[in-house]
Amino acid sequence: MSLRRLQTWLTGPRLLTLGIVFALAWSLSRVDWQQPIGHTGGGAAALQVLLALFPPELSPEFLRICVVSSWHTLAYAVAGMSLAVALGLPLGVLASGVLAQSADGSGARRWTLMASVRFLLAAMRSVHELVWALLFVAAVGLSPMAAILAMAIPYAGILGRIYAEQLQDVPAEPVAALRTTGASSAHVLLYGYIPMALPDLLSYTFYRLECGIRAAAIMSFVGIDGIGFQIELSLADLLFRQVWTLLIFLVALVVAVDWWSSRVRRSMAY
Amino acid sequence: MTATGVRLRRAGEQFAVAKPLVAIDSASKVYGTNRGLAPLSLAINAGERVALVGPSGSGKTTLLRLLAGALVPDQGPRSVIINGKSPGELKPGRELASLVGIVSQRFDLVPHLPVLHNVLAGRLGHWSLARSVLSLVWPMERRAAQQALARVGIADKINERPGRLSGGEQQRVAIARMMMQSPLVILADEPVASLDPARAEEVMELLVGLVSLDMGHGNGDDGSSQRTLIASLHTASLIRRHFTRVIGLRESRVQFDLPAGELDDAVLDELYDLGDDNGDVEPLAGLAARDG
Repeated sequence: MSLRRLQTWLTGPRLLTLGIVFALAWSLSRVDWQQPIGHTGGGAAALQVLLALFPPELSPEFLRICVVSSWHTLAYAVAGMSLAVALGLPLGVLASGVLAQSADGSGARRWTLMASVRFLLAAMRSVHELVWALLFVAAVGLSPMAAILAMAIPYAGILGRIYAEQLQDVPAEPVAALRTTGASSAHVLLYGYIPMALPDLLSYTFYRLECGIRAAAIMSFVGIDGIGFQIELSLADLLFRQVWTLLIFLVALVVAVDWWSSRVRRSMAY
Repeated sequence: MTATGVRLRRAGEQFAVAKPLVAIDSASKVYGTNRGLAPLSLAINAGERVALVGPSGSGKTTLLRLLAGALVPDQGPRSVIINGKSPGELKPGRELASLVGIVSQRFDLVPHLPVLHNVLAGRLGHWSLARSVLSLVWPMERRAAQQALARVGIADKINERPGRLSGGEQQRVAIARMMMQSPLVILADEPVASLDPARAEEVMELLVGLVSLDMGHGNGDDGSSQRTLIASLHTASLIRRHFTRVIGLRESRVQFDLPAGELDDAVLDELYDLGDDNGDVEPLAGLAARDG
């Protein structure tokens, strides 16, 4: 009787919880507790890094370096994103299938097109921008173009995928109403899908621009100038005060883009 | 009679037979296991103002969408003929736009575009893609859109977003869009269902006004200024006042077909008395099928 009770009690979620608890206990038992987990001088080093924040490096010469390198990082991010939007929007439109929609159901050609574009987008974004950067450096050498292309390709893959979903989520009724005015699919895209999806499209593009700034900052190792390159230099010299200043500039850039994006979105409220 | 008219047209003969403008030749539509419309034949002449009445699921919306070319009958597109053409066969463009247009219960405006562009959207079937792109930046035919909005009494709302307008005002925008489209046959799917009685009366007057209105764009190769209105609605008083003919549908069959003046409340009550029948429900499949 009690076994029967145990059987009904041990259903899916509870069984899973038990399994996870056992796995956790087992993994803890495998840890070698004799070795210290952190590295011994870590505490002192962390304190040293933290104290460098008071105050960060604020000399005029260094601030000028910060402004110039922030400008370069922003320029790379904007260039990469522009290329990514130019690639991602048409691919997203194709992947959404809204252009090939007929009045009555859908055909095999539409499905094939959507599936192949979706596959292309997945391939583009499944390789990280740093790996793309390595490939492009091997192909075209250390150049800004390599960094911009390396960013544009995976970002276009991400944008295209999200754009496609945002276009598909547009309410169906206004679109159907446009079709009954004799409008073609391209017309309906322009007067229905794009306007209705635009706030979402823009919002996501701005978010990706923030990510793009972050990505541009760490592209320094392929030889482009920018905040990342400066951080690398300062770190190599253990100048943590300079590192803090550069990080503050990086955060300021991202916050500025966020502020810009919320202003644009507010102006589009309907 | 309907079949004869269609056959004559198919043969391309030019006899002066009183051919119906709209000819439905036993068209039906089945969605999965649900019957949207049982085989139905109907002939409607130019200039008629036809009210479709019937309970939800009786096939009114399906019928209107077949006429609009948004659905294709199971028998093939040629079982719905309007002015010699089959809306289901026409590609998007001027010919379809000039043939038939539809206004629906929820107006279906694009909330993110100003009223001006929603009204100009009625011209999309007539415009090239380049012209449509340009118009988003620099509105084409602005004067005509202004006139259409003035005619429906909301000229001052031209730059508003539709979301800020009341239901009655939104329906006026949809009617102004229909004026810009200027089709031969105007379809309306419960155009007044979400409006109060006073607003419903005004909107109905505007819709009926479209039938005899010269919208200034011509009707392509047709040349006739006499339009035809086919609308679904439920209010007997509106039907008697504004329509010439009333067709009662029940379980997607024609229950009665009367001059609108002869519609009395008893006939209507009987039509709507469904008892405990819970048969065919109009499915929401497809683009925007719904029924109030």
